[in-house]
Amino acid sequence: MTILAEILAGLGLLFVGLKSLSSHLQQATGRGVRRMLRSATRSPLTGLLSGTLAGAATQSSNAVAIICGNLVRGGVLTTRDAIPVVAGGNVGTAALVFVAAIDFRLVVLYLVALVGFGFQLRLDRQPSWREWMGVALGLALALLGLDFIKQGPRAIDPAVLGAALDAGFSPLLGFAAGLAAAALSQSSSTPTILVLALLQSSVMGLDGAFYVVLGANLGSGLATLIAAGGLEGTGRQLCYVHILVKAIGCAAVFALWLAVGSAGADPAQWLSAVGGGQPAVSLSLLFLALQLAGAVPVAFGRGVTETIAIRLSPPTLEDGASRPRYIHDRAMEAPATALDLSEREIQRLIQLLPTLLPDLDVAESAGAGERLALWRGAASIARSTEHFLTDLIGRAPERESLDIALSQQSLLEMICVLQDTLHDFAEVVESYERPPQLAFNLSESLRVNVLLLADASSAEDYDVIAALTADRSKLLNDIRRSLVGASLGAGEDARRLLLATSLFERAIWLIRRTAVALRPATNDDNPSDGLMSAERNDVHAH
Amino acid sequence: MHIEREQADGAVLLKVAGRLDTPNAKPFETSLMDVLSMTDGPIIINLAGVDYVSSSGLRALLVAGKAMRNSKRRLSLTSLQPQIREVFDISGFSTLFEIS
Repeated sequence: MTILAEILAGLGLLFVGLKSLSSHLQQATGRGVRRMLRSATRSPLTGLLSGTLAGAATQSSNAVAIICGNLVRGGVLTTRDAIPVVAGGNVGTAALVFVAAIDFRLVVLYLVALVGFGFQLRLDRQPSWREWMGVALGLALALLGLDFIKQGPRAIDPAVLGAALDAGFSPLLGFAAGLAAAALSQSSSTPTILVLALLQSSVMGLDGAFYVVLGANLGSGLATLIAAGGLEGTGRQLCYVHILVKAIGCAAVFALWLAVGSAGADPAQWLSAVGGGQPAVSLSLLFLALQLAGAVPVAFGRGVTETIAIRLSPPTLEDGASRPRYIHDRAMEAPATALDLSEREIQRLIQLLPTLLPDLDVAESAGAGERLALWRGAASIARSTEHFLTDLIGRAPERESLDIALSQQSLLEMICVLQDTLHDFAEVVESYERPPQLAFNLSESLRVNVLLLADASSAEDYDVIAALTADRSKLLNDIRRSLVGASLGAGEDARRLLLATSLFERAIWLIRRTAVALRPATNDDNPSDGLMSAERNDVHAH
Repeated sequence: MHIEREQADGAVLLKVAGRLDTPNAKPFETSLMDVLSMTDGPIIINLAGVDYVSSSGLRALLVAGKAMRNSKRRLSLTSLQPQIREVFDISGFSTLFEIS
């Protein structure tokens, strides 16, 4: 029961940790880190080496695959960049088998301690540290979870296992046992180390050990899919890359094993000779060979690997929707051009706003799931643009560029709030099986204003929006008052409608502020032109 | 959707019936623009027969409204059913159109 509890607790920690890691990493990764990672993954060889280091440090190829998956989802790496890193992660885990160099648990405990002290010192309240604290906490929880999963099966008594092995252990049973053990422990190295102990105590021979390690290698690949949880699209592609590394490694080494056998030699004896007669060295070399045989072709043939991964897990709607179209690292060198690109990206975000609302008029319109993916995607682009602008401002551009960047930042902030408000509003409207008349009227009214904002280009267009979004608090207050009266009879419906009116009012106010900020100045404008002029100054001042 | 055209006190009166929804929005907008280009006086749109207006229908009206404003002509809406009037009020369209 303890074993099961440890494994379940580990899975729980892993899922929570990965969620925190994913969300905070996307916030935290500035352009500098992205450049560094990109240069590390410039070629398959450097990618393979950096993956080997990561695999050796985390002692888990699964963790490397999942972390890379989150980096790909966050737009830090492409799938193609990450393939050699994931492949290298497997090679790195061989270090554990060779030298039990780094105590995985010790590293995790230190990491948890470090994060705890960081929170105690209120580092999480400092803007430059906040997101990284979240990343560290997520990483610590994920690794702690993996450690729990690894620790669970270790409680099995080797003597009991030895007795069972003594009773007869066919190659197929050995393979299945290795597969199951690796799937449970989320690691190929843990069962291999267990087998190593059995080998050293002569409970098992190299022949039997070979099949267990082979099964463990493949099982660890399949375990990645379990650990990947709800990852989809590009995030899941790297899990398949990991499986491919394991499968190719198993196929290549097994083919060699059979080839040695068919050449008339005893493969177990041959393996023992390769290890200089030391079973532990032979097994470690076998483990390394399994990783290298899979990792090298996968890393150097990353084009083919990518094609296979994409076929197995096509990019989701959210993957596509979360990729910035205009901003990119190199643009930062020329602030004027960079600001032009960020302006286009912001304009694109405005054009995406209508996709966040339901179209109640069209029966076949996007479903709630699709809209959720579009909202997450749009929010991700907004974050990337925000980071882009922050980096740009950090480079101390000229006064004029700085003013534009600050103004774009303020506009972007408003759009982010508008995105969230529209999403919240859509959720309320979609919570009805059949929206009541008021919900329909609010939704279609909001939709037309958002559509006009998305299409607006001239001062006249923005003036129309300003007129449409004029204060209507009296009307909405009247509606709310009548709802409060009605809520005595139908509480839940009235409560939802009250919430919808509040969200509607906030969205309309944000649309107005956005329109005011975007309205181009014309020759006809009078500087003392009342409300519009005052609002414009107010918006820009923020 | 059905549109009837009449003359009334020097203005063109358009009696619209049916749904101003996505499928009907474009034909409605085209009809309005045709009337607008063929006449030069004020236009009154009677919406008594309209029992449904969506965002697409509102946009079609806005296009016509802008064209009328640019040619300095009057466009007014009459006889809106209560639920249609509510859409106009909530969306802010009541501030753009003369409604009676």
